Amino acid sequence: MTISGVVETDFPEEFVGQMQKSNDVLPKRIDANPQNVDRGLAKLVLTLIDLIRKLLEKQAMRRVEAGSLSEEEIERLGETLMKLENRMEELKQIFGLEDEDLNLNLGPLGDLM
Amino acid sequence: MRLHTYAIIDSSDQVDEPIYGLEGARVYNVPYCDMGAIVSELGAGSIQDIAEQGILAHEDVTEKLMERFTVLPVRFNTIYDGTEGVLAMMQSYYRDFRDNLDRLSNKVEFGIKVIWPSDRIRESIVNARKKSDKKTTVPTDSPNRKFMRDKFEQYRLSEELENRADKFINIMDMFFSKFAAEKKLKKLRTEDLLLDAVYLVEKDKQGDFKEAFEHIKSAHAGFKFLFSGPWPPYNFVDLTKNTDSLEDSPQRDLFDILIQDRELVGTDKI
Amino acid sequence: MHNIAVKSKDVTLLEILDRVLDKGVVISGDAVISVADVDLIYLGLKVLLSSVETMERLRGAPITGPMQEAT
Repeated sequence: MTISGVVETDFPEEFVGQMQKSNDVLPKRIDANPQNVDRGLAKLVLTLIDLIRKLLEKQAMRRVEAGSLSEEEIERLGETLMKLENRMEELKQIFGLEDEDLNLNLGPLGDLM
Repeated sequence: MRLHTYAIIDSSDQVDEPIYGLEGARVYNVPYCDMGAIVSELGAGSIQDIAEQGILAHEDVTEKLMERFTVLPVRFNTIYDGTEGVLAMMQSYYRDFRDNLDRLSNKVEFGIKVIWPSDRIRESIVNARKKSDKKTTVPTDSPNRKFMRDKFEQYRLSEELENRADKFINIMDMFFSKFAAEKKLKKLRTEDLLLDAVYLVEKDKQGDFKEAFEHIKSAHAGFKFLFSGPWPPYNFVDLTKNTDSLEDSPQRDLFDILIQDRELVGTDKI
Repeated sequence: MHNIAVKSKDVTLLEILDRVLDKGVVISGDAVISVADVDLIYLGLKVLLSSVETMERLRGAPITGPMQEAT
C-alpha cells in the first residue's frame, strides 16, 4: 500500500513545527481527571480574561489612533491597562501558565482580534 | 457485523477492481438509490489496535476511489452495525449527500501552506517607521504615558504586519483562484504561517493550478511553501444546510466547548 | 539525511491526520459506533508518535492478510 496523496515541500521540519503550533493547545474536551480539572479550568478562564483584556487594549489603541482621547484619558487608560497587564502576569504565575498555554483557537471570535 | 465506512460515492455499482482497506479486508459498495457507501468488515479487535495502519489504509482507499468516482470522504472510524445501519444513514442524509456529490463532481482538493519571513518583514516595518517618524520618546513621559506610547507602537506594528500579510495573500490567492471552484483560507494561524489554504480544483485544471503555484513560489524568495494533493475533497464537504445540530459540525472551537461541556460550566471550583 | 526523510513522513502524516480525523463527512448518531472526540485526539497523538515506525513498516509492503482474527 502506498500513499499517493503527494505532499511537496523543501522545508518539512518547519511546516511540522508550524502545524503543531497552530493546533489547538486547549484540548477539545477538558481532561476529566480531577487532578487536571483545575488546571484545565484555570487555562480556560485565564484565556478568556486575557482575551477580554486584549480586546480592551485594542479598542484603546484605536481611540488613540483616531485622536479622540484627551491627555488625561490617555494617562488614566495607561494606568488601568498597565495594572490589568500586571495582574494578568500574576495570575499566570500563580497557575504556572505560560503565554503559549493561553493561545486558544478562537474560532469565530478570532476575527475580533 | 461492524462496517467501517470510507466514503460516499456517486455510484450504486460494485467496485470492480479490488481495493483493500482496514485489516486487509476488501471494500465494497452498499448502494442506495443513485449513490453508495464504501465499507469493509471489521474484525473484533479494539479501535486502538488498528489505528495506525487503519488511518493510512483509510486514506489509501479514498484516494483510489477518487480516481474513478466523485468521493465524499467519511471521517475515520465511522462504524456501523450492519448494512441496515449504513442504509438508514444514507436515507437520512440523502439530500445532503446528493447536493455535495453534485457540487464536488469531478473536483479534487489541494492544500497550500506558506511560511513568510515575519522577522525580516517586521524589521523592515520598524526601519521604515524610524525614518519617517520625527518624534521619538519624550523624556517627560509619565510611566502611564510611556506605557501607552509603547503599546501604540506595538499596535501600529502589528496592524502594518497584518496589512502586509493581506497584500501577499491577495496576490497569491488571485493566482490560485483562477483555477479553483472554491477555496478556504486561514490567514496568519501563527506568526510565521502566513497562509493555510485549501482549494477545490476541477480534475482537468490540476496542471494549470500546479503551474500557478510554481509561479508564485518562484516569485517569492525567502518564503517557504508546502503543496499537497490531490486529495478527496475533505474540506469542502458541507453538511450544515440540512442539519443544524452543533454535534455534526466538523470543527469544534471555543463556542462548542463553552456551550457543550457542561461539566466545565457547572463547576464552582473556579 | 535520515532526519529530513523522517520529517517528510511526519509532514505527510500530519496532512493526512488533519483531514481524516476531523473533516469530510462527520456524522454522529444512534446508529454509529464511533470513537469519541477524545479518543480521536488520542489516536492522532499516538499515530504521530509512532509515525516513523509505521511508515517504515508500510514502505512498499502491501497488507495481504487481516490484522486480527475475525470472529
